[in-house]
Amino acid sequence: MSRALDLAERAVKAAEGDGADVSVHVESSGFARFAASAVHQPTLIRDETVTLRVVRDGRIGCATTNRTDDDGLAAAARRAAEAADSAPVDPSFPGLQEPAPVPDVEGYDEATAALTPKDQAESAAEAIAGAPGFGLYGYYTSGVTEIAVASTTGLAVSQSATDTSVLTLAASDDSSGYAEATSWRAGDLDPAAVAGEAAEKANRTRGATQIEPQTFRAVLEPYAISELLFYFAFTSLNALALLEGRSYLSGRLGEKLFDESFTVADDGLDPVNYPKAFDMEGVPKQRVRMVEEGVARDVVWDRRTAKQAGDGHVSTGHALAPPAQAFGPIPFNLSMAGGDAAAVDELAERVGDGIYVTRLHYLGVVDPREGIITGMTRDGTFRIEDGEVTTPVVNLRFTTSFPALAAGLLGLTKAVTLVNRSDFYDERYPFGTLVPAVATDAFTVVGTGSGPGL
Amino acid sequence: MQDLTEKAIDAAVAAGAGYADSRVVRRRAQHVATKNGEVDSVSDAETEGIGVRVLVDGAWGFAGDPRLSEEGARDAALRAVAFARASASRARSRVDLAAIPPATGEYAAPVERDPVDVPLEEKIALCLRAEEGMRRPEVKITEATVRAMREERVFRSSEGASVTQHFVECGGGIDALAVSDDGRVQNRSYPSAHGGSSGQTGWEFVEELGLDREAPRVGEEAAALLTADACPSGVTTIVVDAEQMVLQVHESVGHPTELDRVYGTEAAYAGTSFLKPDDLGSLRYGSEHMHVTADPTTALGLGTFGWDDEGAPARRQPVVEGGVLTGYLASRETSALIGRDLGGSMRADSWSRMPLVRMTNLHLEPGAGSLENLLADVDDGLYLCTNKSWSIDDKRLNFQFGTQVAWEIKKGKLGKMLRDPTYMGVTPEFWGRLDAVAGPDEWTMYGLTNCGKGQPGQHAHVSHGTSPARFRDVQVGVRQ
Repeated sequence: MSRALDLAERAVKAAEGDGADVSVHVESSGFARFAASAVHQPTLIRDETVTLRVVRDGRIGCATTNRTDDDGLAAAARRAAEAADSAPVDPSFPGLQEPAPVPDVEGYDEATAALTPKDQAESAAEAIAGAPGFGLYGYYTSGVTEIAVASTTGLAVSQSATDTSVLTLAASDDSSGYAEATSWRAGDLDPAAVAGEAAEKANRTRGATQIEPQTFRAVLEPYAISELLFYFAFTSLNALALLEGRSYLSGRLGEKLFDESFTVADDGLDPVNYPKAFDMEGVPKQRVRMVEEGVARDVVWDRRTAKQAGDGHVSTGHALAPPAQAFGPIPFNLSMAGGDAAAVDELAERVGDGIYVTRLHYLGVVDPREGIITGMTRDGTFRIEDGEVTTPVVNLRFTTSFPALAAGLLGLTKAVTLVNRSDFYDERYPFGTLVPAVATDAFTVVGTGSGPGL
Repeated sequence: MQDLTEKAIDAAVAAGAGYADSRVVRRRAQHVATKNGEVDSVSDAETEGIGVRVLVDGAWGFAGDPRLSEEGARDAALRAVAFARASASRARSRVDLAAIPPATGEYAAPVERDPVDVPLEEKIALCLRAEEGMRRPEVKITEATVRAMREERVFRSSEGASVTQHFVECGGGIDALAVSDDGRVQNRSYPSAHGGSSGQTGWEFVEELGLDREAPRVGEEAAALLTADACPSGVTTIVVDAEQMVLQVHESVGHPTELDRVYGTEAAYAGTSFLKPDDLGSLRYGSEHMHVTADPTTALGLGTFGWDDEGAPARRQPVVEGGVLTGYLASRETSALIGRDLGGSMRADSWSRMPLVRMTNLHLEPGAGSLENLLADVDDGLYLCTNKSWSIDDKRLNFQFGTQVAWEIKKGKLGKMLRDPTYMGVTPEFWGRLDAVAGPDEWTMYGLTNCGKGQPGQHAHVSHGTSPARFRDVQVGVRQ
C-alpha cells in the first residue's frame, strides 16, 4: 500500500460523521533554479497533505492538515466536523463517490523517482553548459507525487507519478530565446539540447524592430498555443462556467464554432501526457472530446456540476480537491490534435506574410464569455515574409479572440509536443498540454513593447 | 519551536554551512464561501514545518520538512547543505550578504477579536446576508467569501538572530455576476475583485468592510452593466479609483522595483525590470505628483512585520520621490550587489519555500483634495473602477488593464455608466501623465493574497494604500 493510501484510510477512520472522503497528496521534489548560468534558488520539498471532507446530517465540512500522526489526523477530523456542524444543509452536495475501478495508467518511472539533489544540480549544469555565450535562466526539476482518495463508501484508490521539466531562457542584454521540455521520464529530457534550442533562438533575436499593430496571420509554437489553450479551457471548457453562462460554449454546444482542423480532448489516460487515473474525488478519468472537427461537443464535469445540470450528465473525473471546487472541474490533460504540416516551416509558408511567436507572457482573460485574452509575446518573435521566418521584432501586446484564432486555423503540425503548464504553486500536481504548432489568420496585436533581452 | 530552529542551525553549520537560517512556521487558515444562498465551501487548513536555508562555499541551498521534530530539523539542514554543495561545485561566483545586526525580539499583529476563533456560523451568516443584498433578476450568481488566518513564525540564524512573530489576517469580499437573456455577462465586486480585501488584524476588519451594506449597490451595478454602452476607444483623461490604483501600483511600480528582478534572477518566469541598478537616484519614473513608499510598519498591512524572513528589521523606505526613483525592494544579497543597505523585503509564503524579494506594503502617497476635485478638472474623460483583468510585459513596461466599470466624466461631473473599459500604457510614460492624486481622506489600503512569483511558485500577501489618481492622454478601449 502506498504511503498516500495508508494516510487516506487512516484519516477516513478518524473522521466523525455520516460519511467522509479523504484526498492525500504526498510530495518529494527538487528544484534547481538557475539565473545568469548559476544555480541560485535550489529548493527541496517534502510534504504530506491530507484533505478530509465529512458529511453530517447533510452538512459538509472540510479540513486540511500536514500533521499526519494520529493526533494530527484526529484534530483535522474534529475541525472538519465543526465546519460541517456550522454549515446549513447543502442541497447541492452530490454524495460521495462509490467504489469504481480506475484505469491502469503509466506515469511513474523508477529512474526519475530515484534522482537525487546531486542529479538535479548536474542536470541544471548540463543545461547551463548547453548555452555557451548566453546567460541561462530557468530550472531543472524532478519530483515524485502520490495521490490517494479513500472514502467511507469503500473507495480506495492511489497513484504514484513522477515528473521532470527543464525550462531555459538564453539571454543577453539584447537577445533572448526560450525552450522547455517535460516528461514523466527524466530519460526523455536532454537539458543541454533544450538550452541549445533556446540559445539558437536567442541568436536570431538581436536587432529586433518595431511592427505596426494589426490582426496578423501568425505561426504559434507549441509553447504559445499551449498557454492560450489552457486559459481558454480554464474559463470555457469547464462545466461550472458552462452552467453559469460564463463559458464561450454556453448556449453554443453542438455548433460549429472553430475550423474543422481544431479538435480538442482531455485525456488523462494518454501515456504521452501526464497520465491520471482518477480525480480528487476518486472518480475514474474519462477521455472527454470537447471539440471535434470544429464542433463544440462537451466540457469536463465533476460530481457537483453533473448534479447541478440535472440532465443525465455524470462526472468525467475532473474534480479538484473539495476546498478548491469553487473553480469547477478543470481539464488537466488537454490534448489538441495535430494536422498535416510536416514542420513549422510549412506553417510559415501557409502564413505567407505575418508573424512567428515562440512564447507568451502574463496572460489575462479580458472577457471569458467571448474568449478574449490579452498578453505579450517574448523570447523569439519574428516576421514571416514570403513564407519564411525572417527578422526579429519587439515583444507584442496582443488582445485576441481565442475562438477567432481557432476558427482561422491555416494549419497544424503533425507532431504534437507536451508543454508543462504547472508553475509549481502549492502542492505539486504535474500537468501539461499536448499541442501542435499552429498557423492562424487571426492573431490580433494591439501594441508593441520592449525588445528581447534582459 | 526555538529549540528546533537552533538544532537545524547547528546541524547545518556542523555539515559545512558558512551561513544558515531556519524558519519554523505553523499556520491555520479558514475559508468560507457561499454562492447563490448556499454554502459553497467551509474549509479549515493547517500546515506546519521547518525550512532551512544555507550558504555553502558561497552557494545557496534550501530544504523544507513538515516534521517539527529533531529528526525533521536535522534532515532539512543536511539536505539543504547537500543541495548547496552540489550547486557550489559549479558556481561562478560567491553569494555575499550585506551585514545586519542580529535581530532578537517578538512581533504580534494587533488583534481585538481573533478571526480564527470567530464561530464559523457567524462567518457563514455574514456571507449569506451579504449575498442576499445583491439579488436582482439579472444577477444570476452571487458569491461572498471571508477568510481568517493565524500564523506563528520563528526565525533563527547562525549570526545570532532569533525572533518570533505572530501574524493574524482576515478579510472578505462579494461578487455579483449578471447574465442577460442573450448571453452577455458582467460582474461587480466589493471591496476588491479577485478575493476581496484583507488586513492584518482581528475580525473587526471584516465587520468594518460592510459587505452587507455595499451589497445592494454591487448587485444594481452588475445588472446595470448589462445594458450599458461599451466604453469607446480613444485617447482621453482617466481618473482611476483607489482599488484599480492598487493594481496599477502593484504591477507597474512594485514588481519593477524588486531588485532581484533588476538583477535578472526572475528572468525566466516573472520577468526582469526596465530599471537598472544605476537608475537609482536619477531615473524619472513619473511626474512630480508621484510618491511611492515601501512601508512594512503600516498598521493593518498584510506586508507588516517586525522582521523579514532573513531577519532584517521593518522600516519605511521611499521608492519614488517626486517622480524620481530613489529606492528598491531588496534582500541582503541584492543589497550587497548594489552596495547600499536596502534590505528588508525578503518573504517566503510558507515553511517549504525559500524567501524571495517581495513587496511588503507599497503605497502611493496621497496628494490633496477630494475625488470630486479630481473630476472637476476633467472636461471629457472616464472614471475607471475595480480591476477586472491585467497583463504587463516581462520588463514591466507595456501594460493593459481592464476594469469592471467606467463612468463618463463630462464637464467635471460623472455621467453614464460604460462597460468593458480597458486602458493601456508604458510604465514611465503613463506615470509621467499623472497630474493629480487625491488627498489623505480618499486614501484607502487594500490587502491582496494572490501575488505570484518564483519557481516553485509562491503567493505573497501584500497591501497597497492609494487615493484615486488622474492621468492625462491615456489610450483607452483597446478591446477588439
